[in-house]
Amino acid sequence: MAAPNSAERKACWDARDELWKCLDQNQDRASACQQLQSQFEGRCPAQWVKYFTKRRDFLKYKERMETDGFSPAEGPRQPS
Amino acid sequence: MLTARCIVGDLHRGGRTLGLLSGRQQAGLLRPPSLPHLGCGRQMASVGSPVKLRTRMGVTALVGAGLFACWWWVDSEKQQELQRKRVSQLKRVALGQGDFSLVDHQGQRRTKEDFLGGWVLLYFGFTHCPDICPDELDKLSAVVAALDRDASLPPVQPLFITVDPERDDVPALARYVKDFHPRLIGLTGTSEEVKRAGRDYRVYASAGPKDEDGDYIVDHSILIYLISPDGLFLDYYNRMKNQDQITQSVRNHLQNYAKL
Repeated sequence: MAAPNSAERKACWDARDELWKCLDQNQDRASACQQLQSQFEGRCPAQWVKYFTKRRDFLKYKERMETDGFSPAEGPRQPS
Repeated sequence: MLTARCIVGDLHRGGRTLGLLSGRQQAGLLRPPSLPHLGCGRQMASVGSPVKLRTRMGVTALVGAGLFACWWWVDSEKQQELQRKRVSQLKRVALGQGDFSLVDHQGQRRTKEDFLGGWVLLYFGFTHCPDICPDELDKLSAVVAALDRDASLPPVQPLFITVDPERDDVPALARYVKDFHPRLIGLTGTSEEVKRAGRDYRVYASAGPKDEDGDYIVDHSILIYLISPDGLFLDYYNRMKNQDQITQSVRNHLQNYAKL
């Protein structure tokens, strides 16, 4: 399978940006962005879809760390 | 040789000056009235001829300046020698010691030797790369274009070496490189050849799991390397560096590079 050329890359990135914008505006409710989601999947190779989805999670996580800081998971409560 | 001669000259001149001074002092002590203008101190200066004092001060200043100039010259020679030694030591441990042999996007065999004597900006990546490689290659192309506009600088050759020889054959690279700088050369080879080229520059590359279409993503180092005309690694630029920062840094290297 040939790698996407520059026009195909751009189409994929634009679809990704539109989907991400929609998800940002709708508090990540996937149901609100169904159409953009399928457009994104149609314009990007399946591997890229997986990669970008993980990448968004990572970027969100990074943003949360930067704004809210790290909150440690609750460990077992120690009986006092 | 020159250094030694200068030091000897220094000592010689310095010694003579000292001898002259002590001789005068002795004479002054023994026969103060007969040689008023040769004595030391302010009293004598006011009594004796001011021209003579001025001459002596002038000579002293000249000798002092000479000594200082000589010291400065010897010192700068020494610093340069140290610098030269340091650079040659660093070169022996620098990245890029190997001699890669790969095939370019037109099917021609290219070795590292072909690029010696010129500057190279090098990037490792793969054509199926989702976002980082095209971003970095765009940046690299813009940097080379900016440097091209300055006629006083030597040309910089952009190179792209694949880390995915399985899919990036000659036609795949030919299709890919035309999206970027017109002088960009894409290089591929057998997986062994590609691995060796990557090892020379300590590039990490690891192919991820294949999906049902046989597609996969290669995780790899994403640095742009600046290679000097002697074929060795000189500097690198990561994702945090923008186009202008890289252009400025490469320009500095091009202007300050001293061939050993």
